[in-house]
Amino acid sequence: MSAVRAEHLAAGYRPGEPVLRDVEFAAEPGQTVAVLAPNGGGKTTLFRTLLGELTPMAGDFAVDGTVASVPQHDHARLDFPVTALDVALMGAYGRTPWWRRIARADRDAARDALDRGGLAAEAGRRYGALSGGQRRRATIARAIVQDARVLLLDEPFAGVDRASEERILAVLDELASEGRTLLVATHDVEQSRRWSRVLCLNRRQIAFGAPEETLTAPTLAQTYGDELVVLREPRMGLTIQHHDDRGEA
Amino acid sequence: MAWLTDPLGAEFMQRALLEVALLAVPAGLLGTWVVLRRLAFFTHAAGSATFPGLVVAGPWGIPAQVAAFGAGLLYAGGLSALVRRARIAPDAATGLLLVAALAGGTILASDVYEAGAGVDRLLFGTLLGLDDADLAVSGAVAALALAASAALGRAWLAAGFDPAAARPLGVRAGATDSALLLAVAVAVVAVLPAVGALLVGTLLVVPAATARLLGRSVREVQLVAVLLALAEGVGGLLLAYHLDLPPGPAVAVLAGGAFAVAAATAVRR
Amino acid sequence: MTLRDRALLEAVLLGAACGPLSVWLLAFRHAFAAESLSHAMLPGLAVAAAAGAPLLLGGAGGVLAAALLVALAARDRRIGGDTAIAVTVTALFGLGALLAIDARTPLADLLFGDLLGVTDADLIAAAVLAVAIPLALAAGHRALTAVAFSPAAAPALGIAPARTEAALLVLLAAAIVVAVQGLGNLLVLALLVAPGVAARAGGALRARLLIAAAVGAGSGALGVVASDRLGTAAGASVALVLVAAALIASGARTGGGGTPAAPAVRRSPIEALADRA
Repeated sequence: MSAVRAEHLAAGYRPGEPVLRDVEFAAEPGQTVAVLAPNGGGKTTLFRTLLGELTPMAGDFAVDGTVASVPQHDHARLDFPVTALDVALMGAYGRTPWWRRIARADRDAARDALDRGGLAAEAGRRYGALSGGQRRRATIARAIVQDARVLLLDEPFAGVDRASEERILAVLDELASEGRTLLVATHDVEQSRRWSRVLCLNRRQIAFGAPEETLTAPTLAQTYGDELVVLREPRMGLTIQHHDDRGEA
Repeated sequence: MAWLTDPLGAEFMQRALLEVALLAVPAGLLGTWVVLRRLAFFTHAAGSATFPGLVVAGPWGIPAQVAAFGAGLLYAGGLSALVRRARIAPDAATGLLLVAALAGGTILASDVYEAGAGVDRLLFGTLLGLDDADLAVSGAVAALALAASAALGRAWLAAGFDPAAARPLGVRAGATDSALLLAVAVAVVAVLPAVGALLVGTLLVVPAATARLLGRSVREVQLVAVLLALAEGVGGLLLAYHLDLPPGPAVAVLAGGAFAVAAATAVRR
Repeated sequence: MTLRDRALLEAVLLGAACGPLSVWLLAFRHAFAAESLSHAMLPGLAVAAAAGAPLLLGGAGGVLAAALLVALAARDRRIGGDTAIAVTVTALFGLGALLAIDARTPLADLLFGDLLGVTDADLIAAAVLAVAIPLALAAGHRALTAVAFSPAAAPALGIAPARTEAALLVLLAAAIVVAVQGLGNLLVLALLVAPGVAARAGGALRARLLIAAAVGAGSGALGVVASDRLGTAAGASVALVLVAAALIASGARTGGGGTPAAPAVRRSPIEALADRA
């Protein structure tokens, strides 16, 4: 039973106009899938569909267990009177019926999750007062508390300081070793080589498979088009960073 | 001391004080969510929209609360239709409906039912002229506010903080947010006898907005908001009693003053 | 001239003046500012009424004070501009009601207008408005178009967006001050929103500006005539006709039947409310 499966999946925002087509892949528990796509290539659309926010226009998908979202841009209200701990605790909201208070076990789980991300000292600080990297780690803590089987991380390293990046990478590896499935949207082609699978998108699926087979020059060219810069010596591919605040759609 | 105890002797003042105490609960609990979820103008407009309902209640023989709630539902439905179907921007649609409600109400009041003189009371409240029904409704809404806030507060927090993340977290934002709008509408109806159609913000927005500047967690904001609403309500009543002023506006000015002081002096939280 | 004729003239002048302004207010998403300013000016009117001073003067002072307070409130990041403005409007409403207790003009007239009691000064002011606003809008047409529809390109054309918007708000303030005598501070909003909404079907911008002026003036006339025939309050009747015109024109625009497609992204009702698009 795959953790995440998509079959002929198509999705979009205006009826009859899919912005993403022909998505077909399966990811197993314990795998981390790098999702490579240029801006406007459909990765956010894919994530929104897997989260249930968008209804597929064609095809089907299945997720075995809960899905957690670690979004790229902080669309959260930074002015809300919530601490990092409060945010992590939100991961337990789904399993707490409305008539019950949050369980003590869940509170402990939230503290643990923050600790894994190195945020134990910041637990009582207001979420909006944290740095970008710290907020990202708090959101990951929320996903951990959710005990999600599948995590969708949209460019978790964008705009994040070095220390946070190391921390986040370590946590992601831990989560994968726990049997969870991670889909990590990234622009870092080199980084994606360390993971189990790569999914290349550019308004449709270009390729899916192990990094060695997928990260070939032709595939990358089809994925990134003009954005790709290839250095011949050593054999590396880079993409131009686009810090586009608007994101897709 | 007589300044404080004299008013307490009059029965109408005792009722007014009870009303203020009861209304402080939804004012603080639901008002906090009104402020956090950016529903201040919706609430203010919903209050004004109940005006025609209040006007026809007497002549049509319906309880004022029912008529007001009906007018509120019409407003909400109309707003939804104008925004979704006619594609009018929400603020323009709100303006159109507000004006229609106020214009319609005043024509009904002065030309159809000739209740002209009573219009001031409908618009600014009759805190010193409450009946048992008003107090009963306030008590019920206080209980409702407590229950709703306890049961749905988490959902309202999650949906407000990060709407896109609410669904994956298992929070059914569509249903719980609709419940919040409904709770606010009911609260609006409850405060009408006290402050009138034009001043619902006095209880449901201003104390919570002031508290928001002072509190650091949702619980804190709610507690401070309840206390502020209570203090401002009592203060306004005493001023009204001694200076012969309309009580609703008196509370509004006190509340506004408290907000101004807090805004000018509160440390950034 | 009879009282009814004077009311008719005032209504037509106000409608013609505010109609085109309304189109721009909608384009700049200033309906909210129009609501807040017109409601928050009540204390100014009340003070003038209590002191026996001309309402035009009180209105001007009221709008100025309201504009300053609303601008201050809108800058507050901690609770959001919208909430702060709602707080300001509520407090000023209350203050106005308190100040109006000893007023010579009854509160109802301040709130709902006294179209049948327009003075010569009011008529002159309305006439000036009916000339000045279209002139000002025509003079600023290029700037307004640039800032409203291609704000990124405006500075390159030598147009300052902030100053253009500020100028528009000044016109709004002037319109409110003059129109408040006829419609009252609760209903003046109709003049500032309805014609623009009604004119949306007009297509090209210039056509819409003309349609809005016509709708404004026509609704004003129709409203006064209807109020005379039916024995209803004049200002309120004008307001209702204006809103009806906006709704009918909008209904015609969606072209009867055909529900809009459900939005692709599921959103809660509060999010939909917050979307000011």
